[in-house]
Amino acid sequence: MEKRAPLNFRTNELEKKDFLIIDDFGDMRSMIKSMLQAIGITKLDAAANGMDAVSAMEAKRYDIVLCDYNLGPGKNGQQVLEEARHRNLIGLGSIFVMITAENTLDMVMGAVEYEPDSYLTKPFTKDLLRARLDKLVEKKKNLKDVEQAVDRNDFEVAVILLDKKMAGKPKNLRELIKLKAELCFLAGDYQQAATILEGIIAEREMTWALLGLGKVYYARGDYQKARTLFEKLLLENERFTAAYDWLARTLQMLDQPEDAQEVLHRAVTLSPNAILRQQALGELALKNQDEETASKALAQAVKLGRHSVYKHPSVNASLAKIKARAGASREGLKILKNMMGEFSGSHEASLYASMAECVIHSDAGEADAAEASLQRSRELYEQIGLEAGPNAALEMVRVCDKLGDSDTAKSLLNTVVKNNHSEDRLLKDVGSLMSELGMESDPESYIEEIHKEVVNINNHGVELAKSGNLKQALDHFEEATQGMPANKVVNLNAARVLIMNMKESGTDRGQLGKVKQYLDKVRKVDDKDPGLRRVHAMYRQLSLGS
Amino acid sequence: MPCIVNCPWGPDHRQAVMKFADILASLIHDMKNSLGVVINTLEEFTRDSGDAPIDRKKIVALQQEAKRLNNHLIELLTLYKIENERISAHVEEWNVGEFLEELVIENRASAEAKQVQLEWRSDPGLYGYFDESLIRGVINNLLGNGLRYTSSKLLVSGVQEKGYLVLRVEDDGEGYPEEMLNTQAGQWQSDELVSEHTHLGLYFAAMVANMHRNKDRYGRISLSNCHTLSGGCFSLWLP
Repeated sequence: MEKRAPLNFRTNELEKKDFLIIDDFGDMRSMIKSMLQAIGITKLDAAANGMDAVSAMEAKRYDIVLCDYNLGPGKNGQQVLEEARHRNLIGLGSIFVMITAENTLDMVMGAVEYEPDSYLTKPFTKDLLRARLDKLVEKKKNLKDVEQAVDRNDFEVAVILLDKKMAGKPKNLRELIKLKAELCFLAGDYQQAATILEGIIAEREMTWALLGLGKVYYARGDYQKARTLFEKLLLENERFTAAYDWLARTLQMLDQPEDAQEVLHRAVTLSPNAILRQQALGELALKNQDEETASKALAQAVKLGRHSVYKHPSVNASLAKIKARAGASREGLKILKNMMGEFSGSHEASLYASMAECVIHSDAGEADAAEASLQRSRELYEQIGLEAGPNAALEMVRVCDKLGDSDTAKSLLNTVVKNNHSEDRLLKDVGSLMSELGMESDPESYIEEIHKEVVNINNHGVELAKSGNLKQALDHFEEATQGMPANKVVNLNAARVLIMNMKESGTDRGQLGKVKQYLDKVRKVDDKDPGLRRVHAMYRQLSLGS
Repeated sequence: MPCIVNCPWGPDHRQAVMKFADILASLIHDMKNSLGVVINTLEEFTRDSGDAPIDRKKIVALQQEAKRLNNHLIELLTLYKIENERISAHVEEWNVGEFLEELVIENRASAEAKQVQLEWRSDPGLYGYFDESLIRGVINNLLGNGLRYTSSKLLVSGVQEKGYLVLRVEDDGEGYPEEMLNTQAGQWQSDELVSEHTHLGLYFAAMVANMHRNKDRYGRISLSNCHTLSGGCFSLWLP
């Protein structure tokens, strides 16, 4: 057994770092400042609220952010963290420390997407602050190259780098194992992710590992197994809110939307300030036609959205429609007006606003105004193009159908299914929308039909390429991408065949440019698609070689 | 008003009935004592005023009482949450050495002021599974008490024993009195502990220990004397 002196300053690394202190109390800011100065830190800025903090991070890349959880009115510490990480204002190599007044359990359990690198409970001494920072810097330093790969969304490379580090049996081996499981999951290598997580669980049933394994089951479409696991987790940790989110998602896939709503409702009661969860509850309640719950949750989501990077105009628009439907059409229109102020300059927000206006006017019997809004919506939809995303398209379907333009509604619906034939969750939404609107007698077989058609197109192209008919395969996929410009699989296949072609007959700038176009389209739809990264790696190799 | 504290974490899921109001009263009693010391000392300062050299001893006393207050408030908040929100331990993996080192750093100034040699000891490769903020509260409390009762040394250590992570706080003071040692660890959660507020820290520790579970094994506490130092030894067994 080793005995060591109580103090062990490992590095002088800290002195070189750029610091940002965020606290609404001037006294607290100057106290932390003087602690840091005593440690030898010279490069430090301070912000008194979340908005100033975000501006500071927009202007400068900080290495270490010390942020109080309670920041008075406006954003709280968790929202600052979410915005900073979501918008990549601080890199994965930087350190975010959340300073809290007391027990952190609620915050840890309530976090949805991002967790800080460390929690520090007030009051703390200079020596403790230094020890904690030294430790965090040491951990991040070790991971610099991995994080750079992750920043590029290059998870495969990140995993290879991790494997190399793990072979040396470092002190933070367990942290590396956990990170590897996460990265395998992100890379779409569910098999390896499951193997790692099951190994950990056999030793000890860690909550994060159980949650991770449940996510793997969900991603593989094994919803029954996922459900059992999430329910077991909640039985033992009734405040572990992330498990509620995943259980609700799973139940939706199992066609139990009412149960899913009940689950989310429990999570929201435990931790009401997570905006993504309120949005999810609002949308789910809308589908379940529980307008009261939907109205409450959406109102809360809009309120939380004011200070959050996760705000989305579709949420405000849904709230406006609900209010109008409950008889307060003026209030609904006012919500839309406020929303345009909040999202000023956003075409997407304009689109959602005019679609909602159309519905509100139509419900109020104002046919001309409704028609004008529909016209404006169509124009905006054309203008935004692919970037509008499938959810906006489905809302367009709803609006067109309502105003009697069933041709446009049908053709939009057809495009959505074609473009997203591999997205199970979205197709479920399409199916329930169709039943709700009474489109087609059998929505499921309608969707299945299109699904089959797209699969056949893909298979045929792949067959052609495999049998050496590259030229024919090229033409085939070229044509397919025109019919379904936002289909990830088709675009990736088109890019793959072009790459195969160049490997055989030499690289060509024109063809390289085309590959890039296909990849950019996929990126617009889903920049985290595992297939995208694999094809992108092939593309990069080829373009470097040319 | 008597309240019921639900203890769904016990091996037999028993419900330990105890008086939350009594805990509250003794904590408040203790905190009032601390505040009394703080107020009196500050009064002396203002009376001495101006040119008199600052009495380091008094500053140290102030610091200690403030820490005690803080520890008690954390205890109180945790007890409140356990009672009202039925929290469960959020177990994560921690490097034991790093954890103990931070605790020693937090308490170093008080130890130096009392001329107590405060040290930590653990295998650098030892990892433990526990709720960091709950266990931190418990050990901080024990160290605070230890500084009162020890004569010159205080040691906090972590070791793997019989499949448990054992965190120990030892001193070279007079040790625990006989009657406390006779009580078996399993009983450290009945209301007898609450009757005397000196035992409140133990009650809190036992409760937190019991919130830790691995498969069918639960955490517990035990008391002994003369483990590696000549005084009392408190052990927290975490599965």
